[in-house]
Amino acid sequence: MSECQHQWEMVNIRFGFVVFEKCYHCGGVRTYFSREGIPILGDKYREGDHFWNRVENAQSFRFDLICRKCNDAENFDDLMGLMYCTGCLPDCRVEVLRKKLEAERVHILLACGFLSESDAKPKQIPARKLTKLTAYFNQRRVMARSLMSIIPFDLEDGFSRCKGEFLHDVGMLSQEPLQIRTSPF
Amino acid sequence: MTTQDLIEKIGLKPLSRFDHRPVEGVYISDMVSDVMAGAKSGNLWLTVQTHKSIVPAANLVDVAAIVITGGKEVPEETVELATKYGIAILSSPIPTFELVGKLYALGLGG
Repeated sequence: MSECQHQWEMVNIRFGFVVFEKCYHCGGVRTYFSREGIPILGDKYREGDHFWNRVENAQSFRFDLICRKCNDAENFDDLMGLMYCTGCLPDCRVEVLRKKLEAERVHILLACGFLSESDAKPKQIPARKLTKLTAYFNQRRVMARSLMSIIPFDLEDGFSRCKGEFLHDVGMLSQEPLQIRTSPF
Repeated sequence: MTTQDLIEKIGLKPLSRFDHRPVEGVYISDMVSDVMAGAKSGNLWLTVQTHKSIVPAANLVDVAAIVITGGKEVPEETVELATKYGIAILSSPIPTFELVGKLYALGLGG
């Protein structure tokens, strides 16, 4: 195990979009990161048995972390985004944990990997990456009187019941009032 | 400089409930992702975005306060979430450019 007291820095920042696509045929949803200009909502195309329709774009970014002391580096291309718990389900274990930790002045965010059409849940981000990401944000929060903890999104029923919200710029390309969002899930 | 000083000196209107704290520098962006990448702890975040996602983003990077410029109305759900997290949301009728001038004159930089 490294003995370095890591000093993390966010590097190689690349802005782009997280694109949500839904298949009309199988009902599957997949997400991916795109650096194209502005992905066009409603764009439809066929791919094998799937009929994909772009249902949502969210401005987001990719990044790496590097330790300025030991040069340990970590890539976060597999991170779709961070989600915050809205407390939608009182019996949800994330909500139970959120309440417990907030009493200790620790705020949680959920880390989600990308979705593929064959999975109901987002791909998991390895624990070592979440440890580094948590350490990075806590190092940045030098004036804070609380801590952040970034935990994996591993709810059994995926997004089907969860009403948590991503820290993405969904619908923020316009200053017009947001319409009521329709979940792609 | 603290959030209390800014409220008194340039007439920012507090919308949420929070504890006053020191302010160090200003960050201007209307993108949550940009703030996550670049804002610093203790910054004053100037924006016209009012969606409730600005609250957990502000909390993540520990900005001292979010200032909604140009008199834009802030949804109640955003204010409620900010109060829950103890995040300061301040409002100003002044456009961003003009407000930046006032903050600069008070000694706040980027």
